[in-house]
Amino acid sequence: MLSLPSVNGHDGVFFEDLKVGQEFTSPGRTVTEADIVIFAGLSGDYNVLHTDAEHMKSSIFGERIAHGLLGLGIQQGLASRGEPAAAHGLLSGLKWKFKGPIKIGDTVHVISRITAKKDGPDAGRGLVTVERQLLNQRGEVVQEGETEHLMERRKP
Amino acid sequence: MSGAAIAPARCYFEDVEKDVPLETPGLTLTCAHVALFTGVTGDTVLRDPDAVPDLLPLCLSSGLGWRVPQPPLVVLAFMGFEWQFLKPARVGDTIRSVSTTVAKRTMRDGGVIVEERNILNQRDEVLQSGRLTLLVARRPVP
Repeated sequence: MLSLPSVNGHDGVFFEDLKVGQEFTSPGRTVTEADIVIFAGLSGDYNVLHTDAEHMKSSIFGERIAHGLLGLGIQQGLASRGEPAAAHGLLSGLKWKFKGPIKIGDTVHVISRITAKKDGPDAGRGLVTVERQLLNQRGEVVQEGETEHLMERRKP
Repeated sequence: MSGAAIAPARCYFEDVEKDVPLETPGLTLTCAHVALFTGVTGDTVLRDPDAVPDLLPLCLSSGLGWRVPQPPLVVLAFMGFEWQFLKPARVGDTIRSVSTTVAKRTMRDGGVIVEERNILNQRDEVLQSGRLTLLVARRPVP
């Protein structure tokens, strides 16, 4: 679902449409070895944690793990497939914790909840705070945090 | 000739100096970066053709961080971070990041460092900024 919703003239989700307490659950996604290899190549982060299977056999994880920021990116992609703030807002702030590893073959999904709404930096926009958790197939929270999104207000 | 292997240099918790800014080389953002990033993350929400996904500069700064004039830091885990998106990056911008360790705490199995990071563009405007918390290995006892 490649879509290019633009902030101006987008397909109709505005600050006013979101309510504190609303919850969204994303689809799941299985994280593959290819995802990790592509992310290492793209980011240039070749830390052994993500790229050296032999070294990682003797680590506490026992195998390669996904980059934390790959998990965060996948989380953002998943959130945008269900959560209006992710799909239509502009990310303005992030507080994030990496709680556990994402291993090759894990299937993750996002649960998000709108926790606050306040005025934005200008009259045309508002700020939406969302709490998000990234969970694996066993229901363990592997990452969690709070995102802030600038959203357009409906024109009066 | 001795058979001793030369161990690659590593930067351990003890080696990390506080309050010394480390600047990375620059990296020009291209459509290829955007395409690879949107493909792998599924974060396909773009505002216009030259827009750069909000999280892409942060992800690229993690790789740029390995290219500073010091041996690679032995990062055991990325624990968390707080981040502000101040100005959107655009395709064609050349970004670099400047990192400074602002706090160090010894833990049982390693050390925690708090790093302040700013991502700048070619006009020295700060695009993104925040603090990252990393678990770093302590120097092994010989």
